[in-house]
Amino acid sequence: MDACRAAAPDSYRRGMTKDQTKNQTKEPAVALRAATKSYGTVRALDGIDLTVRRGETVALLGRNGAGKSTAVSLLLGLDEPDGGRVELFGGTPEQAVASGRVGAMLQEGRATPRVTVREVVSFVARTYPSPMPVAEALALAGLTDFAERRVGRLSGGQAQRVRFAIALVGNPELIVLDEPTTALDVEARQEFWEAMRGYARRGNTVLFSTHYLEEADAYADRIVVLDAGRIVADGTGEDLKRAAGGNLVSLDLAGSPTEWLATLPGVVSVEIRGDRARLRTEDSDTTVRALAARDAIRSLEVTRASLNDAFLTLSHRTRERLEPAR
Amino acid sequence: MITAYVRLEVRRALREAGFVISTIGVPVMMYLLFTNLGGQNEPEWRAAAMVGMAAYGALGAALSLGNGVAEDKSTGWLRQLRITPMTPLRVVTGRALTGAVVVLPAITGVLLAGGLLNGVHMTARQWVTVAVTLWLGSFPFALLGLGNGYRLTPQTTGVVNVACTLGLTVVGGLWFPVALFPDWLRAVSGFTPTNRYAELGVAATEGTVPGAATLAVLLGWAALFGTYAAVSYRRSARTV
Repeated sequence: MDACRAAAPDSYRRGMTKDQTKNQTKEPAVALRAATKSYGTVRALDGIDLTVRRGETVALLGRNGAGKSTAVSLLLGLDEPDGGRVELFGGTPEQAVASGRVGAMLQEGRATPRVTVREVVSFVARTYPSPMPVAEALALAGLTDFAERRVGRLSGGQAQRVRFAIALVGNPELIVLDEPTTALDVEARQEFWEAMRGYARRGNTVLFSTHYLEEADAYADRIVVLDAGRIVADGTGEDLKRAAGGNLVSLDLAGSPTEWLATLPGVVSVEIRGDRARLRTEDSDTTVRALAARDAIRSLEVTRASLNDAFLTLSHRTRERLEPAR
Repeated sequence: MITAYVRLEVRRALREAGFVISTIGVPVMMYLLFTNLGGQNEPEWRAAAMVGMAAYGALGAALSLGNGVAEDKSTGWLRQLRITPMTPLRVVTGRALTGAVVVLPAITGVLLAGGLLNGVHMTARQWVTVAVTLWLGSFPFALLGLGNGYRLTPQTTGVVNVACTLGLTVVGGLWFPVALFPDWLRAVSGFTPTNRYAELGVAATEGTVPGAATLAVLLGWAALFGTYAAVSYRRSARTV
């Protein structure tokens, strides 16, 4: 695997010299500073600070309407922020896009009628200063067999691959993907991420939005959780699980009272289901020791909080925090 | 970059059966019908009708540019173009050039029918002058089409473009000679861009120079349509 990594083709990275490599580490690929955006009375982004370093793969995770697509629009320069700043590679998004450093796969968008896959991908390649060979982009996107087909006659999943090829073919340093895998089946999804990983390995920066937790956890170096237009968490999957209150300790109550459970060391929250208590704890070892000291370890079970739990807890907190303001 | 874009858009336009039929097939057919039925077979009428029908075909082709733009707006293709290194100015210019290319088959189709089937006689130089004049004169209509396309939804653009084509064609006297019009309509006709556009072509067939009034009216409309296109584009750029 590592040998494979070392051999990953780097030939068409725009003639990178040592100086440029040094230069590249200066400005982050993406920087949003206190960015806000409202549509009418809806506050889509409520002051976002986000920095993506070069070479990172970052997931923007959130439910529908959390502000993911708005963030993507702002950083591609498709929309202007109401307040705050948006920078790509230390310049404006327009500059970065015009110089061919950015490729993007937008959500929705119906297929462009009356063009073949090869025609549209070749055309986009022509607009970039140092594109990859069209055949390679088609192969990476799994489109080699469909190259001569009209884009308008492809299935949803195939059309999504075309958008992926379009994002990739310019050989950009930063690739932005807005919910890239929604129309793909499991197998295609796996192939897609395989291609994406290969692309990131060449030192490129990848930013993708998703509402699939597993996807964010499996393919991103860092997960940024958005909720109601704010960043509620930023870190690795592990960080998020910890932030949401690490482990889950459950035990049988056997009719004993429950008030004292919340006072145990490490416990963040207590949930009673029938005769069983579920304690969310930041330090399961200490909690279990305290329980053992009280001899309350009937059918004791310690489980890792899932990322799903973490996500729900994190977004729940924001809503609680926002509630009094309303 | 821009030639690649124009090539792509021209291909897309010519692959649309509706476009080819309405901008080449219909004008050629109408020209042959109008000049061979009902005994109106004088050579001058054949030449004048040829220019009128070629102008009608070019008008339809130039305006239909807007249909393509409106469609691209709704499918997200314009949005996709905005995140390629092509600048918005290049995209609009490329679109206008596409318009300049797709009016050519409409013009040559009717001119060929005139020369080969209807026996219209002109010197080689006159043929070229007519073709080039009609080609250049179609530019203001491409701007009108672009303005509609950037401003309106695909459905509305289609309807508005058909209305513009028919209205400007009839009032401008492209189908029926202005001589048949009542006085008041003839007066109105003189202010339409289509009437003056056909006059350019007719002057070319007669080997004369178009009058100052003709050029002034055409330039006025070109400025108006150009402004309309620019304003519509700027407005849509915010939402596309």
